[in-house]
Amino acid sequence: MDLLQGTLDLLVLKTLVLGPLHGWGISKRLRQLSDDALAVGQGSLYPALYRLEERGWIAAEWRHSPEGRRAKFYSLTPAGRKQFAAERTQWRLFASAVEQVLGAS
Amino acid sequence: MSRWRAFFQKKRLDREVDEEMRLHIEMESEELRSRGLSPETAKREALVAFGGVERYKEAHRDARGVRWLEESLRDVRYAARALIKSPAFTISSVLVLALGIGASTTVFGAINAVLLSRLPYPHDEQLVEVDMWNAMANSWHMSVVDYRALEAGQHSFSAVGAETPNDVAVQVGGADAVRQPLGYVTAGVFRALDVQAAKGRVIEPSDERVGAPPVAVVSARFAAQAGLGASITLDGIPHTIVGVLPPGVTRLGRLSGDIWPALQLKPPTRRGPFFLIGIARLANGVTLDAATRDLAGVSQRLFPLWAASFQDRSARVAPLPLRERVLGDASKTLGVFGGAVALVLLVAVANVASLALVRATNRERELTVRAMLGGTRARIARLLVTESLLMAGAGAIAGLVVGVLGLRVLIAIGPYVPRLAQAKPDGAMLGFAVVIAIVVGLIVGAAPVFVLSGGHDAGTRVVGAARGAHAARAGFVIAQFALTLPLLAGAGLLLNSFVRLLRVQPGFDPRGLVTVRVSLPVARYGNDTVVAAYWTRAMPLVRDVPGVVDAGLTSVVPPRETDLNMNNFELIDRPAVPTGAQPVSPWIAATSEYFRTLHVPLLEGRLFTPADNASVPDVIIVSHAWANRYYPDGRAVGQKLRDGGCTTCTPATIIGVVGDIKILGLDEPADAMYVPPPQDWPRQMNVVARTAGPPAEAARRIVAALRTIDAGVPLDQATALEDRVYESVMQPRHWAILLGGFAGAALILAAVGVFGLLSYNVSTRRREIGVRMALGARASAVTNMFVWRGMGHALIGAGIGLALTVWSTRALASALFDVRATDPLTLAAVTLVLLVVALTASWLPARRAAAVAPVTALRLD
Repeated sequence: MDLLQGTLDLLVLKTLVLGPLHGWGISKRLRQLSDDALAVGQGSLYPALYRLEERGWIAAEWRHSPEGRRAKFYSLTPAGRKQFAAERTQWRLFASAVEQVLGAS
Repeated sequence: MSRWRAFFQKKRLDREVDEEMRLHIEMESEELRSRGLSPETAKREALVAFGGVERYKEAHRDARGVRWLEESLRDVRYAARALIKSPAFTISSVLVLALGIGASTTVFGAINAVLLSRLPYPHDEQLVEVDMWNAMANSWHMSVVDYRALEAGQHSFSAVGAETPNDVAVQVGGADAVRQPLGYVTAGVFRALDVQAAKGRVIEPSDERVGAPPVAVVSARFAAQAGLGASITLDGIPHTIVGVLPPGVTRLGRLSGDIWPALQLKPPTRRGPFFLIGIARLANGVTLDAATRDLAGVSQRLFPLWAASFQDRSARVAPLPLRERVLGDASKTLGVFGGAVALVLLVAVANVASLALVRATNRERELTVRAMLGGTRARIARLLVTESLLMAGAGAIAGLVVGVLGLRVLIAIGPYVPRLAQAKPDGAMLGFAVVIAIVVGLIVGAAPVFVLSGGHDAGTRVVGAARGAHAARAGFVIAQFALTLPLLAGAGLLLNSFVRLLRVQPGFDPRGLVTVRVSLPVARYGNDTVVAAYWTRAMPLVRDVPGVVDAGLTSVVPPRETDLNMNNFELIDRPAVPTGAQPVSPWIAATSEYFRTLHVPLLEGRLFTPADNASVPDVIIVSHAWANRYYPDGRAVGQKLRDGGCTTCTPATIIGVVGDIKILGLDEPADAMYVPPPQDWPRQMNVVARTAGPPAEAARRIVAALRTIDAGVPLDQATALEDRVYESVMQPRHWAILLGGFAGAALILAAVGVFGLLSYNVSTRRREIGVRMALGARASAVTNMFVWRGMGHALIGAGIGLALTVWSTRALASALFDVRATDPLTLAAVTLVLLVVALTASWLPARRAAAVAPVTALRLD
C-alpha cells in the first residue's frame, strides 16, 4: 500500500517517539507497526530523514548499534516532538472527517 | 550555513550516505537471509527493495540543497563559454564597463582619501581654526591683541595656540641661505593638536617669552640635515633644535613645513597687525555654536580697549572646524567630479545594457529551445544575469587597473585638491569596485530578463516580445543622450569660461618679462636705510645686465600673487558708518619703473618720484578698477584716505591712476593701491625686468649681478611672466580638459548606441524595406524613416537632458568665469553638437536601408 502524500513525515516522527533508530530500523518498525501493510520505499525514506533533520525536528548521530555496527541513529528533538503532536492532532481531525464523510449513508 | 557546509563537504557527506545505504542493504539482506533466502538472492532482493541507488543519491543531494550551488557553477561555466563565443560583444562591453567602473573607482579613491578620511590628529572633530570675521563676511587673521584676549577670556577650549607662516632665509652650517616657507608656532598648537616630539621636546610656553633663547622643532626629514641639538640660522638668528617630530608629520594645523620655531609675540601697541592663525581644541561637550558665542563675547569686551586703532565694531574672533578650513573647496570640486563620473558610468551601463538586449534578441532561438526543453524562465533569467555579472566582474578587474592608473593621473594633472596627493589605492577602493560591478552586472543582466518576461507562451517564444525589447532598447538610447547632454554642457561651459579667461587682458605685456624674488634677511637688513642702500646699488646693476631693456621693483608679481597684502582703509570724504566695516584692497609697494617696465599706462595724475619717501606725507597710486569702484565720477586723484585702521595718522593722498594689472588672478577684479617702497620698505621685493633676447639667459645674469652685492641674500629662481600667466589658468584648463574628456567618451557611447539600434532595426526589417521598395517607395523616403526614428530618440533624450543640465550645472557656477551656469548660447551649442552627432549616427545605417534592393524581399527566408 502506498503512503498518502504527506503522511511519511508523521509516521517517521511516530517511530522515533519510542527512541532513537537507524534508517533501516525505522523502515522495519513501520512495517511492524502496520502489520506489513505500509512499506516505505527507501528512496523516499532517506530524503525524508534528511529533510526532517534540516528542519531541526530530528537529529542524527553516528553510533554503534546493539549488534556492534556503526550506524547513523536518528532521534526526536524537542521541536520534533512538538511537531509530531501537532501533526497527529491534525491527522486525527482529518481522518475522522474523512471517515465521517465516507460513513454517511 | 548548513547549505554551504553541504556544498563544501560534498565528498564527505556523499561518503556518509554511501555508508548508511550499504548498512541498510546489509541489514535488509541479513533479515531476508534469516528468513531462509540464499545470500545472493537476499542481496538482490534488498537492492531491489531499496530502489535505484543513484536516484536515491540525487534525491538526497536535492534534499540537502546542493543543487542550487552546483547549478550556479554550471551557469558560470556556461556563461563563460557563451561570452567567449561572441568576443566582439564581450570585449566591447568589458571595455566600456572597465572605463565606467575605472573612472568611478578613481574618483571614489580621491573622495575617500580627501573627504572621508580624517585629519591625522586624535579627535579631529574637536579641532577648530580661529580667525577674525566681520559683518561684511570678510575674514582675516588675528592680531596679538585678539590672540591674548582669546587666550585669557575664552571658556570653550581645552587648548589654544597660534601659528603664523613666514618665508625665512634658512642656513644650515656654512651652506648658502635658502628661502623656505615655515611656520612660527606657540606651545598651545602642539597641545591643541596633541602632537608630541619623537625626540627631544616640543615648544614649551617658556620658549614664547620675548628674549628667551630662540628654539625650533623640526620634521623627521629635516633632522637628516640638522638634528636634535644642532643650530640653524633663520633670517640671521641662530636657533637651537630642541625636538624632532614623528616621521611624516610635516603639517601643524593650517601650515606645512619642516621647521617650526617658537613664536615670540611682542606686547602690542595697537590692535593690528593681523597675522596669527588660531588653532584650538574644543573642550569636551562644548559645541561649535557655544564656542562661537563665547568668542563673540570676548571680542565685544575687547573692542572699546583698542577703539583708537581699530574701528570695525563688527569684527569677531570665531572658530571654524579645522577640517573644513584645510579642505576648503575640495568637497565641491570632488562633488562635481563625482557627478560627472557617475553620468559617464550610467551612460556606459545603458550602452552595455542595450548591447545585451540586442544579444538576447539574437539568441531568441537558442533561448526558446532551452525553454522548450524544460528550462524554467527563472533558470534562463539566472543564466543571463550570470553572464552579465561575469562580464561586469571582468569589467571591474580591468576597471580597477584603470582606476589605480586614473588616480595617479588625477593626482598628476587634476585640479588641485588638498590632501589628494596622499590618495592611494586601498581596500575601500577595491570594495567599491566590487560593489559597483555587482550593481552594474545586475542592471545589465536585468535588461534582457525584463524583456524576456514579456513573452507569454514559453513554448513558442521566450524573448519573442520584440516590441518590449525594442521599447527597452529605445529607452536605453534615449537615456544615453539624456545623460550625455549635462556632461557636454558642463564641458562646454568650462571651455567657454576658459576661452573668456584667455581673452582677459592681464593689463601688461608679459612677453620678455622675468622676475626674481629677493628676500633681504631681517637680521642684516633691519632698517629701511640699509634696505634702501641695497636697492640703490642693485637696480643700476640690473639695468646694466646685457639684454635687460628696463627694470622695476614690486612687492607682488602679477597675474596672481598668493602672498598678497590686503589692507583696510577709510576714505576721508566718506567715513565708514561707526559700526560698519572698512573697505579692503590689495596693497602693493611698487616703483614708477615697475609701471614703465610693464607698459602700464598712467591714466591720470602723476607717478612716484624720488621725493615721495618716508619724510613726506604718504602718497598712493590707485588702479583704474579701484578708481572706478570708489570714484566712478573720476575724482579719485587728490582724495585722501587713512589705511590700516589708523585714526590719528596724517592721511595719504591719491596722486595718480594707472591701468589695471591683474594681481588676484585673471578672473578677479583688478583693484589695487600702490605705495612707493621708500615709505615703508618691504624686506621681500621682486625685480621685474623686460628683456630683449632669451629671457632665461637675462634672468641668470640678473641673479649673478645681485649675488655680487650680497651672496647671503636668498634669491628665488627667476620665472618668466608669460609662464606665470599660463600657470594662472592651469586649473580652468585642467577642468575643461577633464570634463571634455568625460563628455567626449559619453558622446561616443551615445552615438554608438543609436547607431547600433538603427543598424539592428535595418537588418531585421530588410524584408519589409524590400517590399516597400518593390512597391515604389523612394530611397530617400526609406532613409528618412530611419533617420527620423534615430532623431526621435535623440530629441527626446536631449529634452530630458536639458532639464537635467539646468538642474545640475549650477554645481559648476563657482568654477565658471563670466559665463552663467545656464548660459543659453552654450546650452544651444552643445545640444546642436549632440543632435548633429545623433544625425550622423542615424544617417549611416539609414542609408544602408535605402540601399536594400527590392529583390531582397524575395530572397530572405
